[in-house]
Amino acid sequence: MNMYKLLSILLLFSLQKEVKAQKIPDVKLVTLDGTNFQTERFNEIVSKPVVLSFWASWCIPCINELSAINDNIDSWKSNVKFDLYAISEDDSRTAGRVNPLVNGKGWDLHVLLDKNQDLKRELNIANVPYTIIIKNGKIIYRHQGYVAGDENIIYKILKENQ
Amino acid sequence: MLQKIILITCLVFGSVYTKAQLSGSLESNAALYIDDDKIKLEKIDAEQRIRSNNYLRLDYKLKKITVGVQLESYEPKALLNFSPLLKKTNIGNYYINYRNEKLGVEATAGHFYGQFGSGLVFRSWEDRQLGIVNSIAGGMVKYSPLESVQLTALYGKQRKGLGFNFSDGTIGGVNADVKLSNLLKIKKVKFGIGGSVVNRNEKDKALIGLKNNTLLTSVRSDFSVAGFTADFEYTFKSKDALVEYSIIRPELQFDGDAYLINLGYTKNGFGITTNLRRLENFSVFSERKQFGNAYNEGSLNYIPALTKQFDYSLTNIYVYAAQPSIGFEPNRNKAGEIGGQIDLFYKFKKETALGGKYGTNVSLNFAQWHGLKGRYDALQRKYQAKKFTFGQKYYRDISLEVRKKWDKKWSSVFTFLNQYYNARYVEESTGEVNANTIVFDNTLKLKKSKSIRWELQHQWAQGSYKNWVASLVEFNFSSVWSVFAQDLYNYGNNNEAARLHYYNFGTSFNKAAYRVQASYGRQRGGLVCVGGICRFVPQSAGLTLGVNISF
Repeated sequence: MNMYKLLSILLLFSLQKEVKAQKIPDVKLVTLDGTNFQTERFNEIVSKPVVLSFWASWCIPCINELSAINDNIDSWKSNVKFDLYAISEDDSRTAGRVNPLVNGKGWDLHVLLDKNQDLKRELNIANVPYTIIIKNGKIIYRHQGYVAGDENIIYKILKENQ
Repeated sequence: MLQKIILITCLVFGSVYTKAQLSGSLESNAALYIDDDKIKLEKIDAEQRIRSNNYLRLDYKLKKITVGVQLESYEPKALLNFSPLLKKTNIGNYYINYRNEKLGVEATAGHFYGQFGSGLVFRSWEDRQLGIVNSIAGGMVKYSPLESVQLTALYGKQRKGLGFNFSDGTIGGVNADVKLSNLLKIKKVKFGIGGSVVNRNEKDKALIGLKNNTLLTSVRSDFSVAGFTADFEYTFKSKDALVEYSIIRPELQFDGDAYLINLGYTKNGFGITTNLRRLENFSVFSERKQFGNAYNEGSLNYIPALTKQFDYSLTNIYVYAAQPSIGFEPNRNKAGEIGGQIDLFYKFKKETALGGKYGTNVSLNFAQWHGLKGRYDALQRKYQAKKFTFGQKYYRDISLEVRKKWDKKWSSVFTFLNQYYNARYVEESTGEVNANTIVFDNTLKLKKSKSIRWELQHQWAQGSYKNWVASLVEFNFSSVWSVFAQDLYNYGNNNEAARLHYYNFGTSFNKAAYRVQASYGRQRGGLVCVGGICRFVPQSAGLTLGVNISF
């Protein structure tokens, strides 16, 4: 069988079935103090949406996005219920820089490390910044890239999903 | 045969799909190279002007089992300067994975990725921009008998080119990480230890005096208390033959080692971190002959440059690449590198003189790298390097980044970078470069989620390309649509014919999990670097199209 046939069959196969909304795969991340964090926990959070913001210390739009989120997070929290995790895709070259950067910027965010990009790969994320919002274990929103003002869209979706 | 197995597996899983979950992604990067009056492709490259790299990844998950496949298509040919082994359409990776968190077990058969410690002795990963897809095909088992203990064993061959083409060496490895403080239920102080052994078995009967096995070992520890962190890693590589110009020299064998120290301190509003590293003869490939190949193919470990990674076009002209290898050449002997970097982050608080209404963020980085001092004999191919003495200077940079929000609408990032770059050693070309670069990056929010971003950059350099000026304007109509125009002008080049404008304009569409990007213009030749690993691209002109879908 030639590869084109295989490719088209797989594509058709993937499109024809009514597939359940995607869940977050279970991958082991670590917190900034070195504790293991299984991503299965995101699926167990019910009754409020969870924002996953994928970023890296060297990515300028990512820093812009998290700075904007950090500036707004207190006012958001007083109006809507949600959890937010900033998942760093820094590998061993720059992972050591994450904690000082987060503290140095005075960010009050939950930060997780995905050092060999396992979660990024399993969620089919091509590049950071990338935002995913989940509710009751299902992905309800995905967005690639960041431009100024995108944080307002996150807030809008959080409000709609209370 | 294998295609059939995958298809049947998919269909079997498909028939019980109600509990299953399918996810995947499609990425396509295509180019149409169009020569203009100044930029022309090499004859050999011009034979095929339409090129594309395409990846379709599908994962099918049913309870604890996931099967996955990645199809790759480089048709009619791969983009310029990707490995010639990446050609046509075929399966890149395929795997079946079983994961049971309650038992603490995960097992994979097929292609897998992984990393031991900081990656100095083993890392397999994927970076499509760099053309790195060095997964291992074989088996990997992870077992966690206790929350604080993680054991890994793996065995297989490393992929080169597409999924059924492997490097000659067979890789076996074991790794253990233990969080001792958790195990001993100590809370205030956290500390742990880890260790790895990786073996490459490569037989070559024609070469006399060469052992089949090359062994890499790593021991490491980490420690943190009240804002302080300290990590240490020592790794050792057993004797292996020198490879020069793809020729294996069994009569010349050297061992190698690496030291890595990371120290940090942080509290709210302040952070400082240091990385120190010494490498001696520490590049490792899963096949000896792959040593030094231009496509990072078959690289078994991860040796990034420990310098700050920049995100602006002119700050990425003189990029340091780590120098882990031995190279004998009169007046350019090398055996490794020694150096380090310091990062400092500080926030001037709101309502202070320097903080203003919104606070000001400052970050400072200093990095310096040298060769290993020692006695080198290029003729006899012998050397003796000193342990902790600095030799020839390879690279130095100092950078300052200030982020400031002026009011609700306008924010800026100002970057200053001072560099010394020893091209003779780092690129193995000629000359040295001293460069100063400034970048002024402004974002202005307009009404109704519209925004405009404007970048202005200038580089003053003595040597090499000399002075550059660059600017970029990006207009975002909404979070979905944006357009940009950019120009890099090498106005200071000594060679008048090389004083080119590298203009580029394009648009991007971002909606939900879809991204489409198109641009037209010129691409500067040089290194494309991601995470401290670089790939050379020749200069080119034309049209590019990128599509990205996840589901």
